[in-house]
Amino acid sequence: MLNEIVKKLFGNKKSSSATAKNRLKFALIYDKLEISDEILKNLQHDIVEVISRYFEIDRDSLELNINKSKDSSALTFNTPILSAKKRKTS
Amino acid sequence: MEGKIFVITSGKGGVGKTTATSSIGAALAMAGKRVAVVDMDIGLRNLDVVMGLENRIVFNIVDVVQGKCKLSQAAIKDRRINNLFLIPASQSDNKDVFKSEDMVRLGKRLKEEFDIVLMDCPAGIERGFENAVAAADEALVICTPEVSSVRDADRIIGLLYARSITPKLILNRINPAMTANGDMLNHEDVTDVLSIELIGLVEADDNVIVASNLGKPLVMINDSKAGQAFIRIAMRLDGHEDIPIQVPKSGSTFWRNIGSKLGFK
Ligand SMILES: Nc1ncnc2c1ncn2[C@@H]1O[C@H](COP(=O)(O)OP(=O)(O)OP(=O)(O)O)[C@@H](O)[C@H]1O
Ligand SMILES: [Mg+2]
Repeated sequence: MLNEIVKKLFGNKKSSSATAKNRLKFALIYDKLEISDEILKNLQHDIVEVISRYFEIDRDSLELNINKSKDSSALTFNTPILSAKKRKTS
Repeated sequence: MEGKIFVITSGKGGVGKTTATSSIGAALAMAGKRVAVVDMDIGLRNLDVVMGLENRIVFNIVDVVQGKCKLSQAAIKDRRINNLFLIPASQSDNKDVFKSEDMVRLGKRLKEEFDIVLMDCPAGIERGFENAVAAADEALVICTPEVSSVRDADRIIGLLYARSITPKLILNRINPAMTANGDMLNHEDVTDVLSIELIGLVEADDNVIVASNLGKPLVMINDSKAGQAFIRIAMRLDGHEDIPIQVPKSGSTFWRNIGSKLGFK
């Protein structure tokens, strides 16, 4: 007991609860970066819809990906453009 | 006036949902409210044994939803506490036995009959959770000061927000000595990472197990610290928000021993 108090006074031992809190903060952030397949599918559907208003695209060859690296994550959308659509003047 | 439905949920299993439901329900009934506690853990019912009412089950919630009996026939009246009723789960069905719409309909009827309805949610985030939450007006999330429990609570809080419910937190099974030592997350750590309003702090208390052994309401055990904490939570739920949240203090720590040796109380 005394040993522990001495350790704490001299800052040798980081409390395990502080470690727990830190780990939790990061875990919760990472948890929220995860996107479900369903959301991804809906997103893809919406993006295709918007892009097709302006371009002819090949709907089957497009790719939607989430690339995770150590400290960032990026959403990439890849599609060959066949041609630009002529916009109707309203 | 129409009643209110609270769901008591956690994500992670075994953190105290059933204990909280029975204790808060008993405390509210003792304060004069007409209370129904509903076991939504279809297939794994427990609220009945914790409350000591297991021998009196004839009908259950599935019977009510399927129209096999009236609500009043399934509601078991507690003989020790006036105005406290249990609606048991069925032990033989699966969690997908009914849909959210069934619960919304049942919820409306419960609110006509009772001032306060407490739904004891099963662990997990599947059908059982969906059903328990479907009819809820408000939610209490319960977790213990452990990493896995807090993380699961965060997931549940997110799911509740998605349903426009802003839950409040009960932190259960606090070990004050470990907290004082820095070996357990304290309530500020937990509310900080979860960004949620606290409604009560409950310490680990052997009386919880004694009460469930006896099938006796925890809040009727006089010197139970956990029981007292649940009573205060019930009062706060009942609109007495001025009742302060007490932080559990360790009874026999090093410092107190030193203190008493030096003649302090
Ligand atoms: N404050 C406490 N002090 C001591 N023991 C406790 C406390 N709260 C709960 N327990 C014990 O923890 C165990 C789990 O509690 P409980 O059944 O209430 O959890 P639950 O969340 O309903 O579990 P499940 O997810 O299985 O439905 C029980 O054995 C109970 O006695
Ligand atoms: Mg339970």
